[in-house]
Amino acid sequence: MGKYITLTDKSTGKVYTLEFNRRAIEAMERQGFVITEIDTKPATMIPMLFRGAFMMHHPTVSRDVIDALYDAIPDKRALIEKLTDMYSEPLLALISDSEADEGNVEWGASF
Amino acid sequence: MGSELLTEEEAAPPKTTYTDKFYEVFPFYLSIGMTYEQFWLEDANLAKYYREAFEMQRERANYDAWLQGAYFYDALCAVAPILHAFAKKGTKPQPYLDKPYPMKRENVKQEKKKPADNGASRGAAMFHAFAVQFNKKFFVSANERHPADEGGGVNNGGND
Repeated sequence: MGKYITLTDKSTGKVYTLEFNRRAIEAMERQGFVITEIDTKPATMIPMLFRGAFMMHHPTVSRDVIDALYDAIPDKRALIEKLTDMYSEPLLALISDSEADEGNVEWGASF
Repeated sequence: MGSELLTEEEAAPPKTTYTDKFYEVFPFYLSIGMTYEQFWLEDANLAKYYREAFEMQRERANYDAWLQGAYFYDALCAVAPILHAFAKKGTKPQPYLDKPYPMKRENVKQEKKKPADNGASRGAAMFHAFAVQFNKKFFVSANERHPADEGGGVNNGGND
């Protein structure tokens, strides 16, 4: 299984599994979601990202329930980081590891 | 052209979406056995394992092709004596391998042992055949000499 987040609604006891598949990403992009705009349009993109994470395992959960869950979540920043990471996974899984070995360029990061 | 610096105006946002990329590679994953549901609806990492499995299949196919080439080479070498334009009359091809190359480690060990056994048994058989021939010759020459020996014996006997 890929990366996923479990969300437990303490009021109802219901457990939600948040994960992205390619169909969910396609649907989100069709609705106007652009991952690169998450910093420039956070008010629009972050709720869309959160709602999209329900599409794979809980496609029938209503938007109101999802929004209520989002409002009740503590440490949203960390959650968004995780969701962004998870969102890239379906694409990264298509990129061969060997492709990276073929280049003549090395790279490093300061963090 | 290609040597221009990227300015902020020119650095347009990327137009390729994740969806575009998915549709671009989707036929490839279908070709290696992934289903529509597996690609679009199931675990995203499944694609990685399908790709690895595909690489293994290619390696195996490559090995099989190489192996077939090796058998073909053996077959050619076996018939090579009669393919020679100036081959002597009555030249016969070498027999083809009586069994495939051993694949498992145990089979390889057994095959390594076998030639020694075969050599020993062949040597024993050759020695036995030589002994039979030698004995036959010995008896034949003994029988041929017998009348002369008899005469000699009579003469000798007379002398004695």
